[in-house]
Amino acid sequence: MLITGLLLGTALGFVMQRGRFCVTGAFRDIWLSRNTRWLTAFMLVVAIQSVGVFALDAAGVITLQEDAFAWLATILGAFIFGFGIILAGGCATGTYYRSGEGLVGSWIALAAYALFAAISKSGPLAGTTDALRSVTVPLTNFHTTLGVSPWVPVAFLLTGVGLAVRHQLRKPKLNIASLPSQRTGVAKALFDKHWGAFTTAVVIGVIAILAWPLSWATGRESGLGITTPSSNLASFFITGDVELVDWGVLLVLGLLVGSFIAAKASGEFKVRVPDSSQAVRSIGGGALMGIGAAWAGGCTIGNAMVNTAVFGYQGWVSLVFMIIGTGVAARIFITPGSNGKNASTTTALATARVS
Amino acid sequence: MAQHILETDGQVCPFPLVEAKAAIAELPIGDELVINFDCTQATDSIPRWAAESGYPVTNFDRRGDAEWTITVQKA
Repeated sequence: MLITGLLLGTALGFVMQRGRFCVTGAFRDIWLSRNTRWLTAFMLVVAIQSVGVFALDAAGVITLQEDAFAWLATILGAFIFGFGIILAGGCATGTYYRSGEGLVGSWIALAAYALFAAISKSGPLAGTTDALRSVTVPLTNFHTTLGVSPWVPVAFLLTGVGLAVRHQLRKPKLNIASLPSQRTGVAKALFDKHWGAFTTAVVIGVIAILAWPLSWATGRESGLGITTPSSNLASFFITGDVELVDWGVLLVLGLLVGSFIAAKASGEFKVRVPDSSQAVRSIGGGALMGIGAAWAGGCTIGNAMVNTAVFGYQGWVSLVFMIIGTGVAARIFITPGSNGKNASTTTALATARVS
Repeated sequence: MAQHILETDGQVCPFPLVEAKAAIAELPIGDELVINFDCTQATDSIPRWAAESGYPVTNFDRRGDAEWTITVQKA
C-alpha cells in the first residue's frame, strides 16, 4: 500500500501550508526575536508523537530499534544543516511546501538538497559520510541508558511541553488583524481562517504517528522522513531503478501535491522568481542541507521531530546543533545591518502625503 | 500624517518583516506604513508583530494571488 505514503504526504503538505508550519522560522525566532511560540508548537508535535509511537511499540504494531550514536557526524551534520536552512529559506519540509506555493527559489533549493543528499549518501561523498558515521559511542536512547521504561521520559516530555504550551496560551490575548474572509463554513475553516500554531501542531503530531504503521506495513520500518526519500528520488531520476520508489518517496511527492492544492485553493499560489542573490543562496543552502542531513542521519523531521520522539541521542543532539546552526547563520545573513537588502529600505520606501 | 509604502515583493521571509521593523523605526508617531509582500508566512508574522508592538493595523487585504498588503500605524 505505497499509495498511503502519497495520501499522508498530501495531508501533511496541506496542513503545513495552511498552518504556516515552518521549523526554520521556529528555530530562527529564538535568536531573532527571543520568541519561542513556534518552538513550543514544534515540541508539541514531538510530545504527541512520542505517546503514539511508544503505544504502537507496546502494542507490537512496530518494533523500535536504534543504531549506536554517531556523535561526530550528528554534531557536524546538524550544524551544517541548521546553517543551510537559513540560506535556503526553509528546512526540508518547508522547502517542499514552499515549492508547492510556487517559490522558484525553493525549487532550486529542493533540487540542490535532493542532489547533495544523494551525493552524500550513495554518491562520491558516501565514503566521507560513512567514515564520519563510523565514529560512534555505544548509546542509543535515554531510557536504555537510564534503564527505565520509555514512559518515564514520555511523562517528563509531556509535562515540560504541557507547561510550555500553558505559558504561551496564558499570554494576554492579542488583537491580531486577520484577512477579510471570502468563504463560509468548512471552506472558510480550511482556506481562509488563520490556523493557530498549536492546532496545526496537534494535527501534524497525529499525522506523524500515523506515518509509523502505514510506512511499516510497506516494509519501510520508520516514521516520517524527508532526506533519504529525497535522495532516493534523485537517484531514481538518474538510474530509473523503481526499487528506490518506496513509501517515503511517495510521502515527499505528496508534500508537493498537498501544499499545491492548499495554496491554489486559498489563492496563495504564484510563481515567484528569486533575485540572483537569493538564487545563489538557495543553491548553497540546499547543498548544505543535503550534506548536513546525510551526515546527521536526518533533517528537521527525521532527527529533530521523529528521533527526538523515540528519545534517541541522535535526535536531541541534532535538535540542539541545528538550532545553533540557524543562530549563527541568522546572525550573519538576517540581523539588520548585516544584509545588503536592508540597506535598500530607505530607497524602497515611497512616501505620500495623505490629506 | 503621511503614508509610506514599502515594497517587498519577491523577498522571502523573514525579510519583509525585518525591513518593516527597520522602516517603521524611522517614522514619526502617527504615520502609516503600507507593506506590500508576497511571502505567505508574513500573513502570520507581520500582523502578529504589529499586535505585539501595539501598532494599529488600518488595512489588511489581498492584492491578488499570493499578494498581500497591510497598513500599520506607528503608535
